[in-house]
Amino acid sequence: MQNMAEGALKGIVVCDFSWVGAGPIATSVLGQCGADVIKIESITRPDILRKGEPFKDGIAKGMDRSGYFANRNANKRDIALNMNHPKAREVAIRLIEKSDIVINNFRVGQMEKWNLGWEDVRKINPRIIYVTMSLQGTSGPHRQYMGYGVNLNALCGLTARAALPGKVPFGTGTNYTDHVMVPTHTLFGIMAALLEREVTGRGQTVSISQLEAALSMVPSDAMSYAANGEVLPPLGYGDLEGVPHGIYTTLGYRQWIAIAVFSEDEWAAFKTVMGNPAWAEEDRFHTAEARRKNEEELNSRIESWTSTQYSDWLMDEFLRHGVKAGVIRDARQVIDDEHLRRRGFWSYLDHPVVGRTLYNRAPITFSKTHIRMETAAPSIGQHTNELLAGMLGYSEQEINQLTAEEVLI
Amino acid sequence: MSNASFFSTLKIVDLTGELGPYAGRMFSGLGADVVHVEPLAGNPLRRTGPFYRNTPGRDASLPFLYFNAGKRGLAVDLESEGGQEVLRRLCAKADLLIESCDVGYLNRLGLSYDALSAMNPRLVQTSITHFGQTGPMSTVPGCELTTAALSGFLYLAGIDNDKPVRAPDNQTYRMAEAYAAVGSAIALFNARRTGEGQFVDVPCIEAGAMALENAAQFWDLEGKIRRGHGRQAGGGTIHPCTDGHIVIVAIMGSNKVMWDPFVEWMRQEGIEEWREFDDPKWLDSAYRYSAEGYATFCRIFEAYTRKHSKLYLYETGQKYKVSVTPITNGKDLLENAQLQHRGFWQTVYNDALGGDVTYPGGPYEFGELRWRFGRNAPRLGEHTREILSELEYSQMEIEALATKGAIYAEHG
Repeated sequence: MQNMAEGALKGIVVCDFSWVGAGPIATSVLGQCGADVIKIESITRPDILRKGEPFKDGIAKGMDRSGYFANRNANKRDIALNMNHPKAREVAIRLIEKSDIVINNFRVGQMEKWNLGWEDVRKINPRIIYVTMSLQGTSGPHRQYMGYGVNLNALCGLTARAALPGKVPFGTGTNYTDHVMVPTHTLFGIMAALLEREVTGRGQTVSISQLEAALSMVPSDAMSYAANGEVLPPLGYGDLEGVPHGIYTTLGYRQWIAIAVFSEDEWAAFKTVMGNPAWAEEDRFHTAEARRKNEEELNSRIESWTSTQYSDWLMDEFLRHGVKAGVIRDARQVIDDEHLRRRGFWSYLDHPVVGRTLYNRAPITFSKTHIRMETAAPSIGQHTNELLAGMLGYSEQEINQLTAEEVLI
Repeated sequence: MSNASFFSTLKIVDLTGELGPYAGRMFSGLGADVVHVEPLAGNPLRRTGPFYRNTPGRDASLPFLYFNAGKRGLAVDLESEGGQEVLRRLCAKADLLIESCDVGYLNRLGLSYDALSAMNPRLVQTSITHFGQTGPMSTVPGCELTTAALSGFLYLAGIDNDKPVRAPDNQTYRMAEAYAAVGSAIALFNARRTGEGQFVDVPCIEAGAMALENAAQFWDLEGKIRRGHGRQAGGGTIHPCTDGHIVIVAIMGSNKVMWDPFVEWMRQEGIEEWREFDDPKWLDSAYRYSAEGYATFCRIFEAYTRKHSKLYLYETGQKYKVSVTPITNGKDLLENAQLQHRGFWQTVYNDALGGDVTYPGGPYEFGELRWRFGRNAPRLGEHTREILSELEYSQMEIEALATKGAIYAEHG
């Protein structure tokens, strides 16, 4: 019988060379599910997200105040290992011997430079799942091209359609591909290889192209062009199925409500909530087809009403009548949300430098195994001694020697 | 090397509609047997455009064709006793049930996880819903737009007082589906080791809230509410060119090593006023965020970008090691030299449509496992007979179920 207190991935060890964006999000999820994730950092090469806003109380000092870094690195142990020191490889090898997964998101060739490419690693431990995350794949004319999440948003076609018709394209306002498309496909690839290893006994490589992972979640525009020779227009906030379907101003500072009507029953309920104004009974709005034809006027009629209402009261009224509606919540409102708090989505974890700060878990809960936010993001090298003396079997004298030689920094 | 593969013996039941299908697609792409169960009237996704040749039809929805590729199809009326028995027998032999039914719907039909796992303790059930199985909003009606709104994801897609814009392809659905595939795989891993399945709960609202970047921490640590990026000069800003727009990340923080290649690009191309960029003020994010910094950057850089195509700017900027990419549409994607070189796009003939359909290819490559497109998405009831035979229904029983309207089967 499984102990309820254990994660499904208990016993899995992750040798984590990944940094910045999508890699750390992926390994964080493994850690939440019970894997022992060991982040390799060095004061000579800290994760650059440690210098990314926001900082506790707005103070950027030191390496431990970034919330951007923290939320991607909870539940990990951190080893300070200066990989550019010739003696570092020996420590890495001992860790790889104990690991199930080795993951990096360096540019192609960096791991090979340390003689820790797949061919080297498989000789050290043939059961390793070896994960690489290139931007656009390891072959092809653009394999060396550079980019961040916003670059990939643009390149995969998402930005072009996340726009108001006739306006400059906008996108999600975030490095979206880094947060979802790339880490989820990385995680699925890792889990597929782990499941496969249960049968074959062998590890294997998992190689993600960040662009290709992103494209797998925005298929329509390219498919439509191939099928119909047409580029799909920007969405604004509309939808092919629903009308009205939009975002409407309400009372308050930057307060809006999203409302979506998909059926005639919902349209009738919508009118009821509005108090059945005369304009809504006109032929121009009688059928979905008519409403779509007159969508601009429909939306402005609706908005002249919503703009005198409170968004939260309005949402409650619509939901009570079976109409899909939701406040456009800012982060504070999402943190305060009763539903998410009841579900245990947010956690506050203690850290010696920044105190108790906010984290979220992955959007997955299991009925038998845990998904748990346990320890705050580590400081650089916080677990170096514990790991070397414990899992890696170094003597105190050897650890002192490696520290003196600036290997463990 | 042995040919044994975990995925070649994996059996999945996929009871999803507009919400949910990509999770099963991720498994079918690795060779799992995924049975897509849909109502007799057809999965509502079949009625969602865009359509092949712009002609609506049961087999012409491009999203349906993409998200259900590699799956077999079974049409069944779950409101009927005969239909419920079919689902029971399917789940008795399955490793994983992925469903996106309204919360409580399967329980009302007597198909709760408790009932299904009593027959098959190894069964993993993954449920993809708007708000999740528990919590005060769990039974509230939801859709993609409202989960994007309530999760905080939408708020970020705008600047200052602008209304937010919506990302294409129902992203909060896609996010939940991708995490559902991950959660399913983790639960399958556990089931293999312990012999016990479990219930996995994946809500869109949490998936959306997972994608807030650092916005929650901005509130928690600094008491600030942030909106979208896009007005910080050179830090992910969008600029016009002859045939569209490009996005550029020439600077993050005070990273001179990033900024220098950009200045070099401007110098080499002989941009008027390029010297303005050769100034440490650009390393100061406060200046880049200022109205003056943004306006200055746009004035000088756009005088150059407006003269060139997005492809020219992409290739030239990248030559100088600057992170610049084109704002790409479907046409650009199909013509993208990198994706062509890698053979990314999959063009597959579809009998029901009498023509070729082009799809995105695999998102990963493995040493041993192999991603494949697999079979075309199923027609309604295409594999009903085949699947029921595998469940040991006789021909007579199958005909009887069809006559009663409990199933729909294409003629074999």
